[in-house]
Amino acid sequence: MNVLGIETSCDETAAAVVSDGRLVRSSVVSSQIDLHARYGGVVPEIAGRAHVELLVPVVGEALAAAGTDRPDAVAATYGPGLIGSLLVGMSAAKALAMSWDVPFVGVNHLEGHLFAPVIEEPSLLWPLVVLLVSGGHTLLVLAKAPGRYRLLGQTLDDAAGEAFDKVARYLGLGYPGGPAIDRTAREGDPRAFSFPRALNDGSYDFSFSGLKTAVVRTAQRHPRAATCDLAASFQDAVVDVLVTKAARAVTDLGAKGLCLGGGVAANSLLRRRAPAAVDVPTYLPSMAMCTDNAAMIAAAGAWRLAHEGPSPLSLAADPNLFLTFDT
Amino acid sequence: MLLGIETAAECAGVALADDEGVRAVVWVRGERRHAETLAPAIGHVLEQGQASLADVDTVALDVGPGLFTGLRVGVATAQGLAQGLGIGVLGVTSVAVLAREVFDAGWRGQVAAVVDARRKEVFAARYAAPTEEIEPPARRTPAELAASLVAAGEDDLVVVGTGAQRYPELFAPLHVAAISAPSPAALVALAAGRLRGGEKPIPPGLLRPMYLREADARINWAQR
Ligand SMILES: [Zn+2]
Repeated sequence: MNVLGIETSCDETAAAVVSDGRLVRSSVVSSQIDLHARYGGVVPEIAGRAHVELLVPVVGEALAAAGTDRPDAVAATYGPGLIGSLLVGMSAAKALAMSWDVPFVGVNHLEGHLFAPVIEEPSLLWPLVVLLVSGGHTLLVLAKAPGRYRLLGQTLDDAAGEAFDKVARYLGLGYPGGPAIDRTAREGDPRAFSFPRALNDGSYDFSFSGLKTAVVRTAQRHPRAATCDLAASFQDAVVDVLVTKAARAVTDLGAKGLCLGGGVAANSLLRRRAPAAVDVPTYLPSMAMCTDNAAMIAAAGAWRLAHEGPSPLSLAADPNLFLTFDT
Repeated sequence: MLLGIETAAECAGVALADDEGVRAVVWVRGERRHAETLAPAIGHVLEQGQASLADVDTVALDVGPGLFTGLRVGVATAQGLAQGLGIGVLGVTSVAVLAREVFDAGWRGQVAAVVDARRKEVFAARYAAPTEEIEPPARRTPAELAASLVAAGEDDLVVVGTGAQRYPELFAPLHVAAISAPSPAALVALAAGRLRGGEKPIPPGLLRPMYLREADARINWAQR
């Protein structure tokens, strides 16, 4: 059973073919980073236009690399994300499914991320605590099994990756902010400044806007402060919060593993600190599986199709889609 | 068989045509919900026309100018169908489709097709006949366009489209047709004529919306 996955929720145009729910036959990602870099963030109208130009060749390449010209189903992200971008992938996916006379299935992008470890870790133990951190999302999820999730906490303001982007922009480090701060922080002293850690409320929710403001204020008050010290201290605070809450969740809920996902999971400090903070296995997906891709959408789509059947061709895109959690 | 897709305006529609002409038409009234209604509408039109997608050899699409989101839904759908079926696509403009409808009603003079572009602008083109474009589609201000049409003093000119209806006082001195949305039937008729005239469909990867406006480069963090 070959599922073609299509992902266009933000600034990556991606298509992939996955066999039997987990074997990646092909995975093609065309990033639009260069188109958005000069604006310091993703511009929705530019993203929508780029998806229209990139999707046909990306799908063609994914099919050719997988050696198929008629998959058995088509899965596409239907939310959350930028509405103008979601509509491109969804419309194309519905049309492809109609043209091949195969089922169409809509996939929640967040659930897609939760399938990254399913693809990469054959020996996955459940339940898992998943820390999903990117420019668009910051979630702490208890995954009891595929398709069975409980939301533990989420960001109350900025997404983690958004905080990286905004601070990087303020410090003049360019876009995207995650890799820029990661690189710059290597030269800096993480103890140079003590930034606030929003940890004290006992919940699993996150808040990064106070931290971002503190970095800006400190930079203004210390105009001669080294950028690398500011970056290192900021990164230390973010990672500290993420790791502390994730580790607490693992202990509190008796999880058998911790998994990272999303673009921020590529951060080198987070990848070093997370395994040290817990005494259960930590799954660190490959970089390609951390960032948005269509293999995870195809894998989640295969699971949805097998357990809940296809989606109607009238399925609407939902920019604010949540994960459906059971309690 | 030719499948036509219309998503440039508030009302989406699809039509199916064969060598003898239009075979079935489906209009969708769900305003601005093209992404939800288009795929089922394609299913309906095939059912009405007693055909299947395997019978379709070209997908014709209104590429705009018009509503950006609608255009992208239409282009992505046409691309997906054509890529999956291994066939070509033919893009026609919304203004040419509007003009075609006026000519089909028997009009023998000129037609100025004017589509509301919001932000106090319109997209407009002028035709002497269905395939004879005098002025290609362009973004104009309604006042300047109406003034130029009035000044031209053509008494054999009809104006058509949402742009003329949006600014009735400006276009009042001219004849305004009571047609606002480009129709899927006129779209397939226009596309079929162009194919008969020897035009070749293009590969789906080359199909592009006609925006006629630079991308709005604003970042809305809250939307992410
Ligand atoms: Zn993501």
